Amino acid sequence: MTAEKFKQIKSELEQEYRSVAGFTLLFDHEGYLWEPKDWNEKVAVALARECGIADLSENHWKVVNFMREYYFTYGRAPLNSQLKKGTGLSIAEINALFPGGIKKDGRRIAGLPNPRACL
Amino acid sequence: METNDLIYLDNAATSFPKPPEVLASMHENYALYGVSPGRGSYDLAVYAAELVWQTRVKLALFFNAPEPSRVIFTANATDALNLAMQGLLQPGDHVVSTQLEHNSVLRPLHHLRERNSVEYDLVPFDQQGLINPDDIVRAFKPNTRLVVVSHASNVLGTVQPIKEIGCLCAEHGIPLLIDVAQSAGHIPVNMQDLQVSVIAFTGHKALLGPAGIGGLIIAPDLDLQTTRFGGTGVDSHDLRHTQIYPHRLEAGTLNMPGIFGLSAALDYLEQKAEMLQKQEMLMTKLLYDGLKEIKGVRMISPEPKGESVPVLTCTVKGKDASVIGEILDGDYQIAVRTGLHCAPLVHQVLKTAETGGVRFSPGPFNTQAQIKLAIEAMAEIAAMW
Repeated sequence: MTAEKFKQIKSELEQEYRSVAGFTLLFDHEGYLWEPKDWNEKVAVALARECGIADLSENHWKVVNFMREYYFTYGRAPLNSQLKKGTGLSIAEINALFPGGIKKDGRRIAGLPNPRACL
Repeated sequence: METNDLIYLDNAATSFPKPPEVLASMHENYALYGVSPGRGSYDLAVYAAELVWQTRVKLALFFNAPEPSRVIFTANATDALNLAMQGLLQPGDHVVSTQLEHNSVLRPLHHLRERNSVEYDLVPFDQQGLINPDDIVRAFKPNTRLVVVSHASNVLGTVQPIKEIGCLCAEHGIPLLIDVAQSAGHIPVNMQDLQVSVIAFTGHKALLGPAGIGGLIIAPDLDLQTTRFGGTGVDSHDLRHTQIYPHRLEAGTLNMPGIFGLSAALDYLEQKAEMLQKQEMLMTKLLYDGLKEIKGVRMISPEPKGESVPVLTCTVKGKDASVIGEILDGDYQIAVRTGLHCAPLVHQVLKTAETGGVRFSPGPFNTQAQIKLAIEAMAEIAAMW
């Protein structure tokens, strides 16, 4: 195995403990929480600040809470249509809430796992 | 999940919906003849083998290939490309390919290079998304044993000058392998006229067949090494894999529903290809004309004129393409493909690797009304920032 290949595989498997809002939590190599159950609201606020969101608004919480509720009920993140229906917001409105978009920042702040898909 | 109101513009990923005739024929034939072909002396197995052979003949006619026995069934184009490259290349060989390639070519080549068995060079494309055939010749080395080129770009929709490349490869005695995943069904692919040695195709895109079936078509003067071994239904007494085509490169029971579906799709195209191709290019031109006028939308694909396939990629004000795709889907029920389209080098060259692109690929069943809605949606989205 070449050094480049080794580095790539290592990077994909890499986990990192970080202290967030006073909690020591495990994240994957792209900054997604490893274990969604480790999430709490203080963690969400701290992760939001890392994403450039100074304060989470009512709509932010609506989206984050719906994503988590859906994830723990169905075992996966909601589809675009479900997110729209569940929050009463348009996808454009939801995306405008998160600088990196729903699947990147939205999921990170909600503490959901890495979608690991070519977006 | 409701799909009735969906405007599907992701036909370059897979055509959808499939013609009802294709689905019906696939179901009917599999229900009636879905036994293991050629693996027994009972009539039904013999008849199933005959249906498989007829599909090879149809494919040979479709691609103007000389020998139906050299039509090899695979799972898809990626599988076919792997089979071709691994069957043609030996340690120490050199390959010439292009920066336009999909990962279905780039990754097998990278894998072979990682194993220190093959080296390769990738020639660039110009501002019109075209390869200069002379660049390919300039990249030749004494140990060049293969040229691999995608017939049509899955990002730009441009069609490469395969005839000129084929002529030059023939002059130099180097086999040319073309990936027709994005061209077959949209434009003619004439193996003999193009002087192509090997064609890798998939059934589920513009050929309008089901997923899971594709193939390789090999010229009579070229042999591929067997790289997969197993049951073929012939020469069973011998532990060595048979070297008779097509079994030489096929192992295990064939994908009968896929073959039945592909066969029906070829029949469908024989009757309707011209009309469908006109319709999808009309929609593509309409879409291009609309998108290019939207402030903030930057077309990556050149204008579709002359020979091209219905693929248009753009960016929107430097925004992450996945965000545009989510809004199109969630708020407008328009399905497109965003990101790098498994062709990372194209996006690197065009400096769109960070945001990715938004790719629209109309199909034969899209309507003018749908295209107008897509343009309106993009205008509204581009105005958001």
